[in-house]
Amino acid sequence: MIDNLFQFKEQLNTDNIIFCINGPFTQELTSGIAESLKQKMDLEEVSVSTTMKLFSVLVEKAQNIIHYSVERAAKSIHEDEPTGTLAFGIIIVGYENDHYYILGGNKVKNIHVKALTEKLSLVQKMNKDELKKYYNEQRKKERKENHKGAGLGFIEISRKASSPIEFNFQKIDDTYSFFNITTII
Amino acid sequence: MDNLVLNATKYTPEIFFDYEKNLLKISGKSYPEDTSQFYTPIIDALEKYIDEIQDQNVNLVFDIIYFNSSTSKVFMDIFDLLDGAVKEGKNIVVNWEYNKENDSLLEYGTEFKEDLKYLPFNLQPKDD
Repeated sequence: MIDNLFQFKEQLNTDNIIFCINGPFTQELTSGIAESLKQKMDLEEVSVSTTMKLFSVLVEKAQNIIHYSVERAAKSIHEDEPTGTLAFGIIIVGYENDHYYILGGNKVKNIHVKALTEKLSLVQKMNKDELKKYYNEQRKKERKENHKGAGLGFIEISRKASSPIEFNFQKIDDTYSFFNITTII
Repeated sequence: MDNLVLNATKYTPEIFFDYEKNLLKISGKSYPEDTSQFYTPIIDALEKYIDEIQDQNVNLVFDIIYFNSSTSKVFMDIFDLLDGAVKEGKNIVVNWEYNKENDSLLEYGTEFKEDLKYLPFNLQPKDD
């Protein structure tokens, strides 16, 4: 247990961390964080453009955790059928060097690391025009696939970022890695 | 056909399809957890309506504050459906309303417009 909650909070405040959430992510929670952030930024008269970019990246990252995190709680986990279970992850929203940033992380399977790395590296290297073109191509292309999401999330996140996304995978054991992605607005 | 009316929730938009007035409106925020679950009945209703209309002027208004990436794909599906209907002679117009201060909404509206061949797609700025 954290024995000094005040110290923990002070540390978060010193680091300019606005939100720090670790645990089960739900649609309700996603909406709650996004709306609270928006309220805060509206009160501080942050531009609508910046506020909505942060809102967007937050929603994409939280829904990414909900859909794809392999750390899940369920009565009986069916490996290939995560629907209906509760997904765990971590999201931190902070402010540094005149920019808002969002860190997001969740567990993934090692066997998916290669494909994810390729997907992320591709968008990481793209400039804004290339991202726009790729986004619109993918939106048409993936139409028939039976996905909950559209597979556009990482492109969307990259389009809202002011500098290229950063990501890495930390190996946990033979089966799992921890995936984390940083976005600066 | 009965009008299709759905109240907005925190993460799904208000749907107001007034078939008598030929005015169809989608407004608010759209980031449901499962986009196809929310939009499939709406697209089904839209397809049925488009089949039934003749040459009357139909106005479809998108007054959206925010939409997530999977909604973006559904919107493209809707616009493609309408684009095909206009090609076959139906009179449908889309009005994409956007908050002037939210540059993403104009950008995304412009991109939808660029991806369409036949459907008249108006980008309409608004103040609030």
